Amino acid sequence: MSQAVAGHPILDPVLAPTFPKAALPILRNAQLRKNVTHATDVIQAKRAKLVAEKTDWQELRSAAAEIRAHALENLGEYLEQFEARCTAAGGTVHWASDAAEARQIIVDLLREEKASEVIKIKTMTSAEIQLNPAIEAAGIHAYETDLAEIILQLGEDEPSHIVVPALHVNRSQVREIFARRMGIKDLSDDPQVLTGAARNYLRQKFLKVPTAISGANFLVAETGAVAVVESEGNGRMCLTLPRTMITLAGIDKVIPRFKDLEVMLQVLARSATGERMNPYTSLWTGVTPGDGPQRFHVVLLDNGRTSILAKPKERQTLRCIRCAACLNTCPVYRQTGGHAYGSVYAGPIGAILTPQLMHLEHAQTLPFASSLCAACYEVCPVKINIPEVLLELRAQVVDQERKQADRFLDLMYWGLRIANQIFVSAWRFRTAQWAGRIGLRFFTGKDGWIHWMPSLGARWTVSRDLRGLPSQTFRQWWAARAKEAK
Amino acid sequence: MTAASTSRTQILDRIRSATKILPQSACAYADLPRSYVRKGAQSHLAQVELMIERLREYDADVIECKAQDLPATIAAQLASSGRHTFVAPEGLPAEWMAAGYDWKIDHGMENAEVELTEGVVTAAFAGVADSGTIVLHHSSSEGRRVISLLPDWHLCILRASQVVETLPEYFDLCKQAPDLATYISGPSATADIEMTRIKGVHGPRFLNVIVVRDDS
Repeated sequence: MSQAVAGHPILDPVLAPTFPKAALPILRNAQLRKNVTHATDVIQAKRAKLVAEKTDWQELRSAAAEIRAHALENLGEYLEQFEARCTAAGGTVHWASDAAEARQIIVDLLREEKASEVIKIKTMTSAEIQLNPAIEAAGIHAYETDLAEIILQLGEDEPSHIVVPALHVNRSQVREIFARRMGIKDLSDDPQVLTGAARNYLRQKFLKVPTAISGANFLVAETGAVAVVESEGNGRMCLTLPRTMITLAGIDKVIPRFKDLEVMLQVLARSATGERMNPYTSLWTGVTPGDGPQRFHVVLLDNGRTSILAKPKERQTLRCIRCAACLNTCPVYRQTGGHAYGSVYAGPIGAILTPQLMHLEHAQTLPFASSLCAACYEVCPVKINIPEVLLELRAQVVDQERKQADRFLDLMYWGLRIANQIFVSAWRFRTAQWAGRIGLRFFTGKDGWIHWMPSLGARWTVSRDLRGLPSQTFRQWWAARAKEAK
Repeated sequence: MTAASTSRTQILDRIRSATKILPQSACAYADLPRSYVRKGAQSHLAQVELMIERLREYDADVIECKAQDLPATIAAQLASSGRHTFVAPEGLPAEWMAAGYDWKIDHGMENAEVELTEGVVTAAFAGVADSGTIVLHHSSSEGRRVISLLPDWHLCILRASQVVETLPEYFDLCKQAPDLATYISGPSATADIEMTRIKGVHGPRFLNVIVVRDDS
């Protein structure tokens, strides 16, 4: 289990260590890195194959991006429309300005139901507002029902991926957790057997617990319907069997019309799990007499989203449909996994979403946790230009730092001042290159790599190796080539 | 004003001022780009073949039959299932309920009663060939959501004439948005442990489809 090696991961941006600090122990955890690489390789390969077979993939992306952008630009009207339709169909709509208010609304609803237990469909929004501890504090036990979430809940671990939250845990670790927490002796580590154990563990809960909590993939303004996309059927269980259903949804989840699902569902499954369609998609509208929960509540959550909406470059962040394709493709995420991001939202989307939801005082290092290679932008089904937002947020972090009185105490400040002076002159640049090449020879190992540097250089080598400098610079090579041509 | 209505007003105000600050750049709804594939290009015969192929890729058990052979085909499927107790939606055609089995007609059964049955037979609203998706709108012959969820064995009757090629074609079929819908693409599955696909987590572990060739 990751926590045994890396300490219990903290996914609260207010409390979590900075990205570089959190990443360090993970980079030394070979098992975790192997698990993450394997899982992201598998999803990426499946996604690539299914995207390639879709001749209209780019057209679908454009449509999905524009539908989301349109919905955000008219968010007020669409939310009111959703509220009206959902209410007319027998649902109750609640509005929560922040995490604390959402928790309070949900805990109050659970108390009204006299609930002692509640079953939950995987929802990242509930992790965002740290709902489970609040429910437990009210004396109500929350049962996660998604297989990955059970692994995390029983293993007292935290999600590291938006779609496959336990991808950092391997089968023998799952076996250990299930054997210990479900009290099963002689459990094998065959995924089929482990899945069967989870099925048995939850079956009676599904049938007996009368209250459920879900997230939402989409809210349909036109009809007041809610859509939940899943694979296992735990979602359908929670949506169908209980008496009362509480859905927690970010205000950004709304789409204009039912018909828009023809685009969103096509891009979501392919991007998220590399499937043509996920096994189960459920749509329901308020309350249907005789079918499913007869009491239905939707909690619409702001929690920083309206402030993102007000900013020109950042607004596109809210188009996100949480497919996690950007995580799987990200060269940084693939090395560190999700826990280093100190938030339930990891990877490139987490690097832009977390600082914005947290108003940037926290998570200042996240916008820098990227090589700006733009692989995330390329795979994003709703065309969020993540590098553009990252750069914008970096600029904001730097602007904040400029105002800090102690900035002169940071060596990096002086390092960059000096670099500034060097880069303005070709002569100084050549001299610095010459001096640097001689200086770096002392640190270059026999394998041609630099594994350790002192002082400022350590900020690089602490988590990465650096290729030693070649004997010839590009400018020297270019000059020599021009001479040869003559 | 209550706290709840204050939050509502606050959030909507914040949204209004946020959307007012920035220039309108997104398209009007009617102008949204929709140049993706709407209509399938294949013949209907090929679409049905594709539907069957996709369902089989999901490990669903698919057989085809002529319209007049449907009751016999259902009976054969029930027999080979080795199961005895089946739940039927209220509106399931009587001739689909083969004799010799314990049929529970769902007039609002309790969940616990549904749990005791071994299988379910339902009709479908549509099939989407491109993704092998079976669409249920939970009409009287498709049944309430719970009856196609708890039994471990689901036999779904899909008429070939209900099959469309693309997802947008299904949305075109909907004259009006359904209140309830379930889109099923293969049996319940998970890949949460090392990305190994495991069939049958919580939903029915066995999905059987009879494709009725009412088109030829």
